[in-house]
Formats: sequence, structure tokens, C-alpha cells
Amino acid sequence: MDALGPLVLLAPLVGFLLLALFGRLLPRPLVGWIGAGAVGLAFVFALAILSQVLGGQTLDQTYFTWWQSGDFFVPFNLYLDPLSTLMILVITGIGFMILVYSIGYMGSDPGFARFFAYMDLFVLSMLLLVMSGNLVWLIIGWAGVGLSSYLLIGFWYERTSAVLAARKAFVMNTIGDVGMVFAAFMIFLNLHVLDYRGLFSRVHLLPKGGTVITVICLLLLVGAVAKSAQLPLHTWLPDAMEGPTPVSALIHAATMVTAGVYLVARMHLLYDWAPAAATTVAVVGGVTAFFAATIGTSQVDIKRILAYSTMSQIGYMFLAVGIGAYAAGMFHFMTHAFFKALLFMAAGNVIHAFHDDQDIRHMGNLRAGLPITFWTFLIGTLSISGFPLFAGFFSKDEIIRAALSAAGSEFWLGILALITAGLTAFYMFRLFLTAFGWEWLAHDERHLHEALPVQTIPVIILAAGAVVAGYIPVAKFLSPVFGHAAEVGAAAFWGLAALSVLVGLIGFFFAYLLYARRPELAVAWRTRIAPLHALVEHKYYIDELYDRVFVRPGFALARFLNDVIETRVIDGAVNGLADFVMVEAREFRLIQTGRVRNYGLVMLGGALGVVLIVAAFLGYLPFRLGG
Amino acid sequence: MPVPAYSFLMLSGVLFTMGAIGFLLRRNPLVVFMCIELMLNAVNLAFAAMSRYLNSLDGVVFAFLVITVAAAEVVVGIAIIVQVYRAGRQMDVDELDLMKE
Amino acid sequence: MVAGFAILAVWEFLTALGVVAFRRPIYNAMSLVANMLGLAVLFLLLNAQFLFAAQIIVYAGAVMVLFVFIIALLNPGPELTLERRGTEWIYAAVFGVIFAVLLGALLFNRSLTGRPGKLTPEAINAVGNVQSTGAALYTSFLLPVEVTSVLLLVAAVGAVYLAMRRIR
Repeated sequence: MDALGPLVLLAPLVGFLLLALFGRLLPRPLVGWIGAGAVGLAFVFALAILSQVLGGQTLDQTYFTWWQSGDFFVPFNLYLDPLSTLMILVITGIGFMILVYSIGYMGSDPGFARFFAYMDLFVLSMLLLVMSGNLVWLIIGWAGVGLSSYLLIGFWYERTSAVLAARKAFVMNTIGDVGMVFAAFMIFLNLHVLDYRGLFSRVHLLPKGGTVITVICLLLLVGAVAKSAQLPLHTWLPDAMEGPTPVSALIHAATMVTAGVYLVARMHLLYDWAPAAATTVAVVGGVTAFFAATIGTSQVDIKRILAYSTMSQIGYMFLAVGIGAYAAGMFHFMTHAFFKALLFMAAGNVIHAFHDDQDIRHMGNLRAGLPITFWTFLIGTLSISGFPLFAGFFSKDEIIRAALSAAGSEFWLGILALITAGLTAFYMFRLFLTAFGWEWLAHDERHLHEALPVQTIPVIILAAGAVVAGYIPVAKFLSPVFGHAAEVGAAAFWGLAALSVLVGLIGFFFAYLLYARRPELAVAWRTRIAPLHALVEHKYYIDELYDRVFVRPGFALARFLNDVIETRVIDGAVNGLADFVMVEAREFRLIQTGRVRNYGLVMLGGALGVVLIVAAFLGYLPFRLGG
Repeated sequence: MPVPAYSFLMLSGVLFTMGAIGFLLRRNPLVVFMCIELMLNAVNLAFAAMSRYLNSLDGVVFAFLVITVAAAEVVVGIAIIVQVYRAGRQMDVDELDLMKE
Repeated sequence: MVAGFAILAVWEFLTALGVVAFRRPIYNAMSLVANMLGLAVLFLLLNAQFLFAAQIIVYAGAVMVLFVFIIALLNPGPELTLERRGTEWIYAAVFGVIFAVLLGALLFNRSLTGRPGKLTPEAINAVGNVQSTGAALYTSFLLPVEVTSVLLLVAAVGAVYLAMRRIR
């Protein structure tokens, strides 16, 4: 177990270094299989860790001391418990599937080796993030995934929009990073520890619900919100869809954006100690889930719809960890990783078939042309919509049930989550019915080609996961970390299941009515609620709001500093001083002879004068100066 | 019988004066530099002597700093001399009067 | 002790004269080396072993090697005359006399004042001269030492820059 932790990290590290240094020299197939194989190897090691964790072992091993200065001590230690093991398995397992898929998807891209090098760097950073046993390495991994996310969003750097999106994501993430760093500062100042074990054992030294612990938790939440694209730092995620589709699947759906959920779950002892901060987490999550789902109903870009859906589902996870249902949140994280990666990869196949057109209105009726993609996407849609016995059904219900059984404001968040479940079914079936349709076209004029086997096989495997992942007893597996969840009576279980299925069916019914049965109704309704529709379609004008409030004043201030302060005040002072010296120097220059020895003579004379004056003051001369 | 402090200071004064005279008289920039070193050494001697007779290490420390500064000065000075020599093969400080009006 | 000082004083005077008076730069340099070695021995007389070592390593070693190397590189000829224009002799003589008289007056007429510290030679030797100098350098004189190190860095950078560039 001691050796397995570093091995998991080493595999993607070696893959990254090989590809970064020699990627352009290696033949293409080898590059792909190194990139994917490194992550596959990490997955094998992760399975070995799983077998030991299932045997009841946990690991908190310090490998070396990174810094030691007074009582400031930063070790490199890995912390492997069921929670981080679950994360590792999802990251490496789903990451391996997505990287295999990328071999086909990125096959003709000139930056093939660069892509796999970045992807391995991402997997390395993400593993570091979840395996680290202290806050410093957590933050290093945190920044590392931000960096690789930036590099991969801007992967097609010749596109202006991609570069802008990458920059936007980086700036938003940096806001979060600052929050994280300040949280670490405050923890060290108040508790003098940075490693988890010490932190968890000393949390109770702070007053429960006090200002200090609440502020720490809120600062951590800033980091989590930025990374996980929750309100109000969510605007980067839809733009991040500029990156290649496997990137969207791995980073912006399955793993990185859920780092915020992991953070709150990992720090659950802190959040238990700061109820106000935990409630804030729940509110942020619940509101984001609903908010993003409403935007999802109005978009036409297939990847953007999925991006808003991701925001919404992560909102569910935040809601869960905010109300203390940590196991439910992590359960939903796992099922979501399966079905969202599947949806993105299937969407990637469609986008390829339509030559990089992402507008769902240009698609439709793909059952004959892209049969595998069609059926797998349908499975993903059913799973995310909470269709009974699919994975999403179990995990989402668990969250809603936990929220509804809580008292006070959490109950209303549960109601909101239930409504959101209906919206989810609505926008996902809107997407499915518009982009894929149901009609069988015997004579398809479009000559669509199903993707290569290297792309479809991972999609099929994930589709299987999206069906059966719900039967994995995640809550039991995580019980050493979070404790045992309250038992749920059968009546409550089936009652809520029936309710959520009913809500989902309502969503499905409206989607079917408006986008398959009677499309003219959709147009009529849209005009009737035109202002509301415009509001949603423009994402509640939040981008525009930020532009007015932050970006433009920032530019105006910069322009003012550049045009007025810089040129007038600073340059004015500097140039004025220089002009003054020039004018004066022109006059004083006349007394110079230009001969070095003359200067020396004058200098010695000056020294002599100083000696004489000092001597006169001290009374060593016949006459005296001063007192 | 210990050597009185005055004798060290006298010697220091004599060496300093000789350095100063050489500095004024010589025209070869290298020799001018050596005379400056001579003056700095004379000062060091005075520092060390006072340090000894006042039972303090301050003078020694200052002498050490003077040595360091002198090393830095020589490095830059010689670099300048080499450049001047390369530019005009000039080894006479009196000929270096480009700065004159 | 006194005899030793007397011999060294004469040695110092003669070598200093050599630095000033020889016409070939290499003789000047050699005189300066001899002068610095003598000075190093004077430091020993003053119970400043650390300065003795620093003097030999930095001055007689590094600095003078640089001088000799440059002399060999540039190979300047001797100055044909020590004097071409008449005025410097007069100035130098005047200054020399004034300096000498002044210093003599200061030294012989008045007793030196100053508050003696606690670090007598015995106290220093009990710890070790280098140790106590080092302790002084890195405690009470830390800032000057740091500033000096910056100065050395700047000098090194400046020398590299000067050596790189060709003046046209």
C-alpha cells in the first residue's frame, strides 16, 4: 500500500514526461497508447489500492519532508481512505476510457502528442489533488488541474474564441485559488497544522459555529465554487466547451469540476463544525442546479446544453454535501461521471459526423446513420433523467430524499431539487428528440458515418456503467469516512421514487409534446413568454452583467492609468527630472577639465578639508571651531 | 614592550600619503589603480590598529568590508581599463579627456 | 616586537616607494605584492589573524593576480617620463607635506580617545579570532555584509557587461 500510492502518481507522470519531451518524435499510434496506457496503468494500481481499502486499510504515509522551517512543516504525504480511493478509481477508470476514445477522436489533429501530454498532466494533477494528505499539495494539485484545464480549453489556440475561453476559465479559477490559499493561511494561523490528520483532530479546538471556522469554510467554498462552476463563478464552464470534446468529457464533466464536491466532502469535519457555511454550500448547490437547468432548456449548442446540465448536476452534489449527505453527494458524483462522460463522448461522435457543427437544429433522425451513438446517448439521457433502475435514478433520489427529510430551509431546497429533476428530463429529452429524433430514415442523404471502434467501444462500456453504477453500494463503502447513513423506510423510499418518476415523466411529456409531436406549439409558447425566454436564452445576462460591472470598469481604469497617470504624472516626473539635470549639467559642464588627475587633486583637497574641519572641531589645531 | 598605537597610525599615514602622491603623479591607469589600493591598505592598517587598541572587533570587520569593496572596485576598474585600451590603445589617463567640453 | 615592527615599517615604506616610483608597471605590481604581504604580517602583529588570511587571499592572491594578468595581456610600455607637465609635482608635494604634518600633529600632540571594549586579545583568542570575527560579521554587522554581497554581485554583472561590449 505504501508503494501503490506513489505508483498511481508515477504512471501519468512518466506518460506526461515522455510525451512532452519526445512526443513529436514518436509515431502516432505509440503516442496515443502511451498517453492512454499510462492512465490505464494507474487504474490497475488504483484497483490494487481498492482491494486493500476494501480490506479495511487506510493509508496516511509521509514520503518526504518538503519544507521544514520552525513549526511550519510541509510533508509530502498521501492520504488514502475510501473517499480518495473512490475518486482515484473514477479519475483513472473513466479517464482511461476517455483517453482511448481520444485516440480515435483526435486522430487527425496535428497536436496529437501535445493533447495526450496535457491530458496526462491533468490526470497527474487531479490524482495529486485527491491523494494529497495536506493542504499544500492539495492546492498544488488544485492549481495543476486549473493549468491543464487552461491549456486544454485553449488547445486549438489558433481560434480566438478558444483562447478567450481559456483565459476566462483561468481568471475565474484563480479567484477560487486565492480563496483556497487564504483558507490554508487561516487554518495554519489558528491551528498550526496543514496535514489532514492533524487538522481533523484539532478542528474541535475552535469554537463551533464561530467566526474563524465559518470564514475558513466560506473561503474553501470560494475555491470549490470557482472550480465546480457554481453560482456566481459559473460563467467559464459553458465557454470551456471550446476545447476538444474528450476534454469536455474528462475535465469539464467527469472529474475536475467535481473537485469542489470532493473538497467539501474531504473537509466535512470542518463543515460539520460550521453549520452556517454548510447551509451556504447547500443553497449555492440547490440554486445553481435549478438555475443551470433553466438555461439548459433554451440552448441550441449540443455541448453547451451538456455543460449547463453538468453545472446543474454538480449543483445537486453541492446540495447533498451541504446538508450533510456526503455519501449521497459522492454517489451522485460517481454515477454522473459515467453518464456525463458517455453523453459528451456520444455528442463528440455526432459532432464529428456533422463536421464540427454543434447546432442541434441541424441534426435529427440519427437512428439509422449512427446506431451505436444513438442508443448509447439514449441510455445516458435516461440515466441523467432519473429513469427507474438506471444509475441516475438511485443517486439523485438519495439527494432529494435527504433534502426533503431535513427540516427548515433544506426542505425547500429539496422541493427545488425535485422541480429541477423535472426540468432535467425536459431539457435532456428536448436535446435528444431534436438532435437524434426517433424517425428511421431508410434513405439517409447525409451519408453519416458511425465513429471508429476505438471510439464506440469506450462509449458502450460507459453506457453499461451508466446502467449498473447505481447498484454499487457506495454509501456502505464510504461509511468509514462519513459514518452510517440513516436507514430509510421502504414506504418513504418507494413513495419518493414514485414522486420523482412522476416529475420526470412530466418533463418528458412536455419535451415530447413540444419537440416531437407538435413543434408548432413550441414556437407559439415561446412567443407567448418571449421576455422570459430571452432572459433564459441569454443566460440571465450574467456575462453581460460581469462585463458591465467588472470588465469594462477594469479596462476604463487601466486606460485612465495608462493615458493619464502613466504619461502625465509618472513620465512627467521622470522626464522633468531628466530635463532639469540636462539643463543644469549644461551649465556645470563648463568647469570640468576632463583630466582624471585634476579630479583626483580636487578630491584629495576635499578630503584634506574634511580632516582639517574635524581636527578643528576636536581641538587638535591651534584654533577651534564650534563649542 | 608593546608597540605603541601611534606607530601603526603613523605608518598608516605615511603609506596613505605615498599612495596619494602616486595617484597624483602617475599617468598609467594601472599604476593609478595600484596607488588607490595602497591607500586602501593604509586605511585598513589604521582600522586594524584601532581595533586592537580599543579592544573591539569593529575595526577588523570594517577592514574586511574595505577589502571586499576594493575587490569589487578592481574588477570593474580593470574591465573599464581593458575596454579603454581596446578602443584606443591608450595607456595615459591624461589622454582620456573625451568628457571635456 | 618593536624590532619586528621597525623592520616591517621600513619594508612597507620601501615597497610603497616602489609602487609609486618604478616605471615599468610589472615592477609596480610586484612592489605592491610585497607591500601587501608585509601588511598582512602587520595584521598578525595586531592580533588580527582573520584579516591576515583575507589580505593574503583576496589582495595578494586574487587582486594582484588580476593586475599582473592584465599587465601581461595589455603589455604597456614604461612611461617615458614621470613628468611631462610641471604642475602635478608641485601639487603633490604640497599635499604630501600638508598631510604628513597634519597627521604628525594629530598623532603626537594629543592622546587618542575612545572607549575600550571588552574584546581584549585574550578574550578573542579564547574563542578564536576567526570565530569571533565571524560572529561579529553575521550578527551586529549582518546588514553591511549583505549590502556588500549585493555590491559584489553588481560588480560581477557590471564587469561581464563591460567585457562583453566593444566601445567604438
